[in-house]
Amino acid sequence: MSGERARILVVDDEKVIRDSCTRILTTEGHIVKSAEDGNIGLEVFREFHPDIVLVDLKMPGKSGMDILEEIEGSDPNVVKIVITGYATVSSAVDAMQRGAYDFIPKPFTPEEISLIVARGLERRRLFLESEALRVEQERIRRNMISLVSHELRAPLAATVQYLEVILGGMAGKISSEAKEMIDRCNIRIKELLELLSRWLNLATFDPDKMAEHFQDISLSNIATESIELLKPLAEEKKISLILEKPDDLPPIKGSKVSLGEIFNNVISNAIKYNKAGGWAKVKLYERDEEVWVEISDNGSGISEEHLQRIFDEFYRVDGRRNAPVKGSGLGLSIVKRLVEAHGGMIDAKSRFGEGTTFRISFPKFFQRQKEG
Amino acid sequence: MTQKKRILIVDDDPDFAAAIQKILTSADYHVDVAGNVNDGMKAIKEEIPDLILLDVMMERYDDGFNMCYDLKHDDRYRGIPIIIVTAVTEVTGLKFDPQTDGEYLEADDYVQKPISPEALLTKVARLI
Ligand SMILES: Nc1ncnc2c1ncn2[C@@H]1O[C@H](COP(=O)(O)OP(=O)(O)OP(=O)(O)O)[C@@H](O)[C@H]1O
Ligand SMILES: [Mg+2]
Repeated sequence: MSGERARILVVDDEKVIRDSCTRILTTEGHIVKSAEDGNIGLEVFREFHPDIVLVDLKMPGKSGMDILEEIEGSDPNVVKIVITGYATVSSAVDAMQRGAYDFIPKPFTPEEISLIVARGLERRRLFLESEALRVEQERIRRNMISLVSHELRAPLAATVQYLEVILGGMAGKISSEAKEMIDRCNIRIKELLELLSRWLNLATFDPDKMAEHFQDISLSNIATESIELLKPLAEEKKISLILEKPDDLPPIKGSKVSLGEIFNNVISNAIKYNKAGGWAKVKLYERDEEVWVEISDNGSGISEEHLQRIFDEFYRVDGRRNAPVKGSGLGLSIVKRLVEAHGGMIDAKSRFGEGTTFRISFPKFFQRQKEG
Repeated sequence: MTQKKRILIVDDDPDFAAAIQKILTSADYHVDVAGNVNDGMKAIKEEIPDLILLDVMMERYDDGFNMCYDLKHDDRYRGIPIIIVTAVTEVTGLKFDPQTDGEYLEADDYVQKPISPEALLTKVARLI
């Protein structure tokens, strides 16, 4: 669609209508083609790539409704306007449900058809703009992925690899002081790498892609594995880990890796933001059509003003550089997205100084709605 | 004395390749480095290595995947163990999960950059 010169297809079995539409719209500078029945109409549609299609609902042979449906199926961004001699509410509603944007009752004046086409064109313009925007966003996103993975991660990985060689003594002897420093360099760069990959995962997260690989998953197993993994951290911080689960918890549909990530993040928070002698508890249960996970602790708690923001990217209650507990502030924002990609919900309750409880619910039979 | 085992590194990052080469030569392997798929294939045709360490993202983001596929579908080369080296484990459109993707990728093992010398040597020794 260039300027206001649009491509318009008119499908109507009445010659008068075709001719008058063609005359009126051509005079306005549009390129118009017409067809006298549905099959020809669809043929022309496929070659002509119109911006707008005007379709008569009542024609011999293929019905207007069928044409609408087929056009909607092949390109929903084409604006469809229904011409109808029997403008009953129900047929108009029917047509709208099949993707029609507007309708014009027969007979119509030149002004009426101009007006309705102009409105349709405005609609088309918005469609195309948002489509262009979407494509642009996708391009930016992809560039970001390759920038981060190639330009940022690769040099860091190569650097760490050299440091590993030096630390492993494969490049000759070094003093113990130098070794200590290189060790620190290594640790710091690895932290940076970890941050980059978390951020990358967040930035490129695509719930539809993820849902393609969903399987039956037992949350009991995931919780057990996660607790096993975090045991060393808990022991180091003198936190006891408790797991409460029924023997017959039903499976949910999900991704093993992502569900593991959810548990790891929330449980590690319960350990990290806690004091020696504290506990972190994971409780699983079934309620109605959902499986619930409660992860609670008797740690530092979060005051009301902070609680609202903990799921935000990079948000940390103690955001100082030298905060006693280290972190990137990405954990819970990742968790929230992963939970939602499973069709679930998460919320947090907390009392400052007393502890925090995260509640997550997962539907047992989640099927992601496919778009398009 | 038996001949040294030959390892071919295919990676477009010369620093990363040099570091890995150092680790492997110190464990008494003979190591060649190729900086892209073409050079890698050339080296393989000249002399079949005992193992290939193959980077995934080189000029194109899936060069390594394609090379791996080609090798594993060629009777002359399918026997060479391949360790895939990735910088990113999960990128949309290039989802990479040894459990699910390993089936069609047919690589023999996977490592993520950077890797500790011990871990690398263990993996290599297991396949050679
Ligand atoms: N169980 C908890 N008890 C107290 N505070 C918590 C708890 N869980 C999260 N928080 C607070 O919420 C903030 C955000 O948590 P989040 O997991 O997103 O990031 P992080 O732990 O700081 O970093 P990381 O990305 O390493 O997980 C934390 O910085 C902490 O202040
Ligand atoms: Mg955290």
